[in-house]
Amino acid sequence: MLIGGLLIIVAGLMAFFPSMSDSDTSVDWISLPLVGFPIIVSCILLAFASQETRARKEVIAVPIRLFTLVASLIPLAISTALFFDWLILVDWDLMYNEYALEKEYVWIESIGVSWHVGMDGLSFPMVWLTTFLVPITIITTWNEKDGATYYPLLLMMGGALIGVFVALDLFLFYVFWELTLIPMFFLILKWGGKDRRYAAQKFFIYTFCASVIMLLGLITLYFLQPEGSGSQYGTVTGRTFDMTVLFSNATAYNMGDSVFLGKDMQNILFAMLMIGFLVKLPAVPFHTWLPDAHVQAPTGGSMLLAGVMLKMGAYGMLRIPIAIFPDAVVYYQDVIMAIGLISLVWGSIVCLGQTNLKKMVAYSSVSHMGVILLGIASMQPIGYAAALFMMFAHGIISPMLFAVCGAFKHHYHSMEIGAMRGMAKWSPFLAVYMMFAWMASLGLPLLAGFVAELMVMIAFWPEYGWWILLPGAVLAITAAYYLWSMQRTIFEGGDEGQPPESLNGETPPDITLSENIGMIILAIFTVIFGIFPFIALGMMDQWTVAFFEGVFNLGGI
Amino acid sequence: MSGSEIIDYAVLIPLLPFLAFPVILFLGRLFNGTPTWVKNVKEGGIIALTVMGASLVLALLVIKEHMNKVGAADVFTWFESSWWNSETGAITTKVFGFGIYIDHLTVMLLFVAAFLCFLINIFSIGYMNTDPINDNRNHRFYAEFVLFCSGMLGMVLADSFLWLFIFWELMGLCSYLLIGFYYERPSAAYAAKKAFLTTRVGDVFLVIGLVMLWNLFEPYAGSQGALSYAVVFDPEKIAMVNPGDLQLALGMMFIGAVGKSAQFPLHVWLPDAMEGPTPVSALIHAATMVNAGLYIVARMFPFFMEAELGALSTLAIVIAVIGGITAVMAALIAFVQMDLKKVLAYSTMSQLAYIFTGLGSALWLANNGYDDLAAFAMGASLFHLFNHAMAKGMLFMASGSVIHEMHHAHHEVAHHGHDDDHHDDHHDDHFDAQSMENMGGLASRMPITATAMFVGSMSIIGIPLIGGFWSKEGIIASAWKVALKEPIFLLPAMLILIGAGMTGFYMSRMWFMTFAGKPKTEVAEHVHEQTPWIPIPLVILTFMTLSAVILAGMHAGHWLGDFESGHYSSFIDGIGYEMEHVFLNPDPFLMVLTYVAIGLSLVLGPSFAMALYGGSLDGDQKAKPWMQWAINLSARVNKNSKFDNTAWANSSLATSLHKRLHFDDVYDAAMLKIVVGFAKLSAIFDTKFIDGVIKTIESTSQEASRRVRSLTTGSARDYIMMTALGTLVIFILLWGVA
Repeated sequence: MLIGGLLIIVAGLMAFFPSMSDSDTSVDWISLPLVGFPIIVSCILLAFASQETRARKEVIAVPIRLFTLVASLIPLAISTALFFDWLILVDWDLMYNEYALEKEYVWIESIGVSWHVGMDGLSFPMVWLTTFLVPITIITTWNEKDGATYYPLLLMMGGALIGVFVALDLFLFYVFWELTLIPMFFLILKWGGKDRRYAAQKFFIYTFCASVIMLLGLITLYFLQPEGSGSQYGTVTGRTFDMTVLFSNATAYNMGDSVFLGKDMQNILFAMLMIGFLVKLPAVPFHTWLPDAHVQAPTGGSMLLAGVMLKMGAYGMLRIPIAIFPDAVVYYQDVIMAIGLISLVWGSIVCLGQTNLKKMVAYSSVSHMGVILLGIASMQPIGYAAALFMMFAHGIISPMLFAVCGAFKHHYHSMEIGAMRGMAKWSPFLAVYMMFAWMASLGLPLLAGFVAELMVMIAFWPEYGWWILLPGAVLAITAAYYLWSMQRTIFEGGDEGQPPESLNGETPPDITLSENIGMIILAIFTVIFGIFPFIALGMMDQWTVAFFEGVFNLGGI
Repeated sequence: MSGSEIIDYAVLIPLLPFLAFPVILFLGRLFNGTPTWVKNVKEGGIIALTVMGASLVLALLVIKEHMNKVGAADVFTWFESSWWNSETGAITTKVFGFGIYIDHLTVMLLFVAAFLCFLINIFSIGYMNTDPINDNRNHRFYAEFVLFCSGMLGMVLADSFLWLFIFWELMGLCSYLLIGFYYERPSAAYAAKKAFLTTRVGDVFLVIGLVMLWNLFEPYAGSQGALSYAVVFDPEKIAMVNPGDLQLALGMMFIGAVGKSAQFPLHVWLPDAMEGPTPVSALIHAATMVNAGLYIVARMFPFFMEAELGALSTLAIVIAVIGGITAVMAALIAFVQMDLKKVLAYSTMSQLAYIFTGLGSALWLANNGYDDLAAFAMGASLFHLFNHAMAKGMLFMASGSVIHEMHHAHHEVAHHGHDDDHHDDHHDDHFDAQSMENMGGLASRMPITATAMFVGSMSIIGIPLIGGFWSKEGIIASAWKVALKEPIFLLPAMLILIGAGMTGFYMSRMWFMTFAGKPKTEVAEHVHEQTPWIPIPLVILTFMTLSAVILAGMHAGHWLGDFESGHYSSFIDGIGYEMEHVFLNPDPFLMVLTYVAIGLSLVLGPSFAMALYGGSLDGDQKAKPWMQWAINLSARVNKNSKFDNTAWANSSLATSLHKRLHFDDVYDAAMLKIVVGFAKLSAIFDTKFIDGVIKTIESTSQEASRRVRSLTTGSARDYIMMTALGTLVIFILLWGVA
């Protein structure tokens, strides 16, 4: 019955959006299957669950959990099928500002807003990653309390995130950008730790403030764009929010010596947009919301937050400011590099000083996100591809890190490093996953993280030379904090191995089956993308070349 | 692709063990503890042995085919990425591929790695599976073992520096896992971490070196990955590269080698790494992994050959000097070690240092136009690598045999007459089965082990005609040849010459303390060889070490360095030629040098050791005749010498030698006090200051809003008042503007 109702709503929505061109009769694989479906399903489930009493909620939590899992598998199946061309033949060999599966529907005619979606080599890996992580997160946190609302929120999170990645309209982009805050806010607020209220508020207000600056930038950009006439342009304002129009305008104006919107305006707008994205990334010194949010967030929230949400920042940078303001990128190149290096070094040093396992992992994310900035500032296709691959690889590795932290907390009731020693004896599976995830995160070759680090360093050298010693030092520091924490959790413990006091004398258990399944899938994919990085990198490399030719006017043209 | 060649299958050599890793782990998890798994499969040992056997066979086939022929084969494209050349403005796609590359270096190391991995696997089945402490976790050992072997074999076969590094790190991981095999021991956890972090420091520089090398060769590489041997060893391309930058890049890579091969100043991890089970010490920390550093330096040979004359000399000198310093330093520390395995660990360091010095000489000679001499020095270094790997692998296995049987004997002695209720309590008492102070007089009780150790020690010392002698003489001679041309080289040349005598001392000391004299404890009296599987590799390697003379006769020292220069005509001629060159060299300087070296290592070192530690066996005990004479001699020397070393043993130098010359303490202090201390401060700064600023903004705005809110009193009187005030203010403002 539920599914039937969904289908009706879907059909209604389809009718609501008139297509821009009538000749386009191809199936829209993005709007509803990937974005609309998860959000609508989760809204219905939430509405459904909110009507029930507390006792009933626990009863319906089980079918809702199962239903959410199935619902989250549908986008995964579709995105996987799109990659392998099982559904339709998708041409991923795109020029700059060309998109696969592009669809456009008029939304708010008066100001030129349209529901415009499409995917390219930049967005598709992130979309796939999101569709992949949502079911994994559901499985890993299979026994979360208040499941009737928890699992739909995860699903909604996934839909909103995909919306960010597929949006080709600034307005739409911003709507989804803020929409992601809502489920995450509630995830932290309701399922978080002791200080969850503070963490949730901080997370929301901090990133929202930054987004407002970004919004100001976007609106300024909207009004500074040349007026035009056409279906995309607003009937009242004569301007458009459409990204593809913006990109082609920018590219056209950036040709030769001319600069789109003028040099000064470029620099100002670039900075405004970047602030919004840098806070989301997050980059030092705008990173302090992250450890609080992570430490308080439930495992599932952390997994999606670190896995995909942080990448929204990097994605946004590459999608908007860098694409339209190439001169500003050159102008700010050293600043971006400096911020990247500071994030990298500072993040890793602070990691070494942590005693809380989850906080350490959170700061390691800050450090790894610095790598993305390094790749961007290197101004090399290989550096950009490295940034993309880092986003992707970290999106697989960091959920595993947080899954391990979550399992640790779940079973040992403590997050302190050193609270539990000799884990290899008590929880051999958890110990193996922990070591695996830690090793992947510190950049061990043949696991996904190494490829990106190597590529970034190669791209780094010609521009910045001996500064390479800093990322080099970070490689060593990263190894130091990870190994140090392993020494005091997995190892030691003596022959008897004292279980920690927080367990009150119980025998420490090993992880549950669902945690096991979730983590082993993540581990397998970490290995797959470490040994066969070309699966993802082929598309990314193609995108970077097109991007460099289109945006920076380099290469063949 | 018609007519498949053996090289197309070479990728299976590392791939088979790589695939066996998850299989053994999985099966072990599944069948752990079942009788079939324990008895027939030896908890995974048999699977590992099968795989390593297959790899060995394949490796031998490859070696046979490529003995005198360079081979290369592409396997797969790892990934492709694009590069923008800022000068030409073109964007080219760079291929990062993986392939197989085989030349004389590969052949030699491939044999060493595959052969020793196989033998150590046999040994492990004897050693690991009969120790109750390993019950239920041996599958983990064998899984990590095969993964390690995969790393070593892959590193040797890889066709680019990039994949060399990848396998290099894989070995580092396995080394970490295997050292920490007894995870519950804090010392093992500490040692594992130390090994990984110390080598990681070197690895960071190696990565930087590779990145520099990539960027140096990028303009000339076209679409090929700029780290593949096909690109970087192209003489024309080397000639185009700026030699100054090349030297820096290679220097960075050398730091990585220093870390991996445990050379000064990154040597501190190797002795601690002896916390791992003995097969691990034999495999990783003597025979294979530590050779990785040597391998990468040996791989640099073409750069030195083709680069501008003399442009890379500085680096060659640095390599040799680091080698020289380590050789003497490690030998000095080995003087005072009581732990059997630690003596061998320092000995390993010292011998690797010899090879580094030899390679440094070879590289210097190559870079200064002495191609023939360079090939000879290279050959001698690689031949020493071979001899050392065989001998040291055997020595470690023999030491494992001793330790294992000491354990057993201790068990018997401790529980003799007791009602054997608590079987496992031998962890609780403090008998050290590895300390040589508890041994003595084992020569008659463990004849096979004693023989193996005897031959191995002689090979390491460089007793004429046995094993390492042939290569060590070559290294010392090469170093001195360079020293005659380049005065700075006198330092390493002198150091390794002194080191030869020191080797003679500490190796003899080890052997006499363990095998000669009377048993120092009751346990040592009850030791006897009984464990199956263990003697097999010992016997094989004993013959291998003794047969180094055959290899020497086949001019191994020549063709190991260079394919073209050394084809042997007949064995008898060859051996005659080598003999003549070593003992009756036409160059009087070299001849004197040879006899000085022999004198130091054969006479001086061992006689001091005999004087201090020699002694005859118990009355009724008798060793095999080939060892009995040495024991008798040592007893006589010991009795007749009036050498008193108490002054030296109480000296401050001896104290600091016991403390390993304070390196470990200083590093630990630096790490814990400075780095971690700074990190802790940073963490506080991060929460108090960076987050504090945010919190201040937040609290200020909240405070402000609270103040504003307090105006909302709800009283109509206040509101009228405010309205009035506001109107007044507006009027004043308007008036002011007007």
